[in-house]
Amino acid sequence: MLATIPSAVLVGVEGRPVSVEVHVSNGLPGFTVVGLPDAAVRESRDRVRAALLSSGLAWPLRRITVNLAPSGVRKGGSGLDLPIAVGVLAATGVLDVREVAGRAFVGELGLDGSVRPVAGMLALADAVGDVPVVVPSQAVAEAALTARSGIESCSTVRQLVGCLTGAEPWPDRQAEPVPSPLTGVVGQPDLCDVRGQRVARRALEVAAAGGHHLLLVGPPGSGKTMLAERIPGILPPPDRGTALEATRVHSVAGLPLPPGGLIGCPPFRAPHHGSSFVAMVGGGTAALRPGEVSLAHGGVLFLDELGEFATSVLEALRQPLEEGIVRVSRARGTVSYPARFLLVAAMNPCPCGEGGPPGSCRCSPVARERYARRLSAPLLDRFDLAVVLQRTDADDLLGGDPGEPTAVVAQRVAFARYRAATRGVVANALLSPERLAVTAPLAPAARSLLDAALRSGELSARGLHRVHRIARTVADLDGAGLLVDERHVHEALVLRSRRSVLLGEAPR
Amino acid sequence: MTAVSHARACAAALAGLEGMTPRRLVALLEQWGPEEAWSLVAAGAHPRDPECRFRAAALGVEVGAVGDRYRCAGVDVLVPEDPAYPAALRGDPGAPAVLFAMGDPEVLADRPAVAVVGTRSATPYGRQVAAELGRDLASAGVVVVSGLALGIDGAAHAGALDAGRRAAPPVGVAATGLDVAYPAVHRQLWNAVAARGAVVSEAPLGAPPRRGRFPARNRIVAGVCDVVVVVECHQRGGSIYTAEAAARRSIPVGVVPGSVRSPASAGTNALLVDGCFPVRDAEDVLVAVSLARRRVDRPDPLPVAGVPVAARVRPPRDDQRRPRGASAPPAPLAPPAPADGTAEAMVLAALDRVPTPIETVAVRTSLRVGELAQALHRLVAAGWADAGDGWWSSRYPLPGQRRPERRPVDG
Repeated sequence: MLATIPSAVLVGVEGRPVSVEVHVSNGLPGFTVVGLPDAAVRESRDRVRAALLSSGLAWPLRRITVNLAPSGVRKGGSGLDLPIAVGVLAATGVLDVREVAGRAFVGELGLDGSVRPVAGMLALADAVGDVPVVVPSQAVAEAALTARSGIESCSTVRQLVGCLTGAEPWPDRQAEPVPSPLTGVVGQPDLCDVRGQRVARRALEVAAAGGHHLLLVGPPGSGKTMLAERIPGILPPPDRGTALEATRVHSVAGLPLPPGGLIGCPPFRAPHHGSSFVAMVGGGTAALRPGEVSLAHGGVLFLDELGEFATSVLEALRQPLEEGIVRVSRARGTVSYPARFLLVAAMNPCPCGEGGPPGSCRCSPVARERYARRLSAPLLDRFDLAVVLQRTDADDLLGGDPGEPTAVVAQRVAFARYRAATRGVVANALLSPERLAVTAPLAPAARSLLDAALRSGELSARGLHRVHRIARTVADLDGAGLLVDERHVHEALVLRSRRSVLLGEAPR
Repeated sequence: MTAVSHARACAAALAGLEGMTPRRLVALLEQWGPEEAWSLVAAGAHPRDPECRFRAAALGVEVGAVGDRYRCAGVDVLVPEDPAYPAALRGDPGAPAVLFAMGDPEVLADRPAVAVVGTRSATPYGRQVAAELGRDLASAGVVVVSGLALGIDGAAHAGALDAGRRAAPPVGVAATGLDVAYPAVHRQLWNAVAARGAVVSEAPLGAPPRRGRFPARNRIVAGVCDVVVVVECHQRGGSIYTAEAAARRSIPVGVVPGSVRSPASAGTNALLVDGCFPVRDAEDVLVAVSLARRRVDRPDPLPVAGVPVAARVRPPRDDQRRPRGASAPPAPLAPPAPADGTAEAMVLAALDRVPTPIETVAVRTSLRVGELAQALHRLVAAGWADAGDGWWSSRYPLPGQRRPERRPVDG
């Protein structure tokens, strides 16, 4: 008469355990779902009924009540189809309650009785607790990443019934999920395709090595996007914790995962400049979906045409940039998504796009000033590095030497990240001023250079620390020792971002 | 500040009427004095205003209040009969019927005047040349006239002010009302020019910047000058209008040549092709000024009497001309050139005088970014190069400096 099946639903990127209680009693035939179900759950009764009938199982002409406990939490998603179906079968005696006990179920049903995967399987399998979980066979790899005690799979209701009654064996866990090779995936664009752009390539390398956010300014066709797409390749692969977080976010968003299930190379997200606030930071009415900042977790968020993004969208980036997580608060509650990413942005130098030094395009200084003002100073402040790109010479494009391949640069970057890890941070961009003083002492010549820049007003106090951090990264890339040298500071001064980059003006 | 007479107040009131243009104002005042013209307009009986276009606008205007407003703002109202009205404009076909002035417009009376004009989006080269021209011309006793705009105009004025108190005062010609500093970032410059020389405008107080007023302003710039010098200007820039206005008045137009690759010099180079005379420095301009003044049969302009301009500035020139060869004596203050073979020497050889992107320098020198940055910063510190954002340029060599030759870079 009564069956209780453990399952889970999603809240943000976390799963919440849910008990599906199915009660079948005499009375007018009917099917009621209580316990704050959303539309997808309420529709599940039709799917469950059709799936059972298609599988050749009887549908009880009795009164069926399904309660989703705890009743106070709103439940969404179609992952409760399978536990409801199993609950109905157990409560009507098709399955013995003892056969079902001690297993959790997650999965969506098709009308033909097939069992389909749902978004967020990673988090759901994690949430059901210390019982074996039965999942759709297509989601085994993903669920296996976090399931705590055993995992079983099935692809149809019929098969499931057979397995539970012992009539047939549980299907073999399809080829043990290959421990995802934590290296780049074949087919990623390689840095050696980029001709010329020596300065920009260096900036890319410094950005990847130090976790410094990068702003690329250049006319259309100067290779901004091409360069940005190659950053994930030179970034070190995420550690297992970050990879799991990233996989969890991608899984919740319903995005395809790599074959092994785990996201082994840094994601690259390039939202269009028309993206809405919710698309960027996450949210939405039905399910709180993660936004682009979270999908870029552990990788690169590339904003092309930065000046065209809505101001509110750009300003919303400031908090995740600062804290590495983004909190989405709604009336129903607050969820946090991970959002630690390398921000790379590209924009044209001026409205006409040609830019370059003053006088070389048709935009008046006033027009350029107005264009530059689209970026608020606090946001511009988040960028450590800025490069002004030029179109590559035809000679370079056709003949020039291919640049260094990604693998070589990635090795230097990995070494710099290793050095950063010895200082207790993931990347040098996170060094606090106090730690900076200890871990990056300046050579006398370098100190006097920074002193001069500070005194002439060319650098602010905050800018000073920024240049210091960049210089530390440059020194790491060059394999220098503890001391940061004059030439590292010189390079940092050239690469650092400043407002005037957008105006093309000489500092005067 | 002297009280604004009733006639002047009427002229100012007419100029400030809604819908007034320079040409309509000239028509209204052609045969009538300002007071008479005002009464006729206010009565709707002005024969040159048959549609009574201005009558409604004039109804709400109190002439006395207009006069007070100009007095409080410290702005003089000049009509062509005034002694302070620029003499050069009196016979001009496009002369403004009413001119507003801050400062002392009579500085134009006994001095030669040269307009130094150009584009608002100027290169550092253009700004430097404009500032040098402004400074040297003012030092030579020439009133530097310009439009107070961003870029070349502002640099020329700033240069003229730099020349010191004993130099000739500058004159600015504004396109907006004299209480509307435009561009706003030039408010200080604007005030400094008014304090030392004068700022004039044909726009009434409170007139905002409007598209049509700038070409109109440029004709006044051309009209009050003996010579117009265009420093940098794009293919279809406003300075072309100034040059054309000057040409119509047979006023010589000098042009500073620029790189054929710099869009900011496209207009000026085209003017050179059209036959304007080239200007390398203030001396070239002074020769033209002297010729221009002589041609219109005016006494030699310079306050230091006796020697004609050309004679005063010419002789030393032949010896002190910038060294075209290596034989010039080294100037005492020139910083030492970077030693051959150093990164600095390679970088300096790779720099152009027009802004060069750092990328280009990197390709030309094949240096690593760190070495390149260090060399560039050292060159800037030594005064051999100018720094911008992402681009750099080599300085014009000081007397005695010799640039290293550019050598082809292998690979």
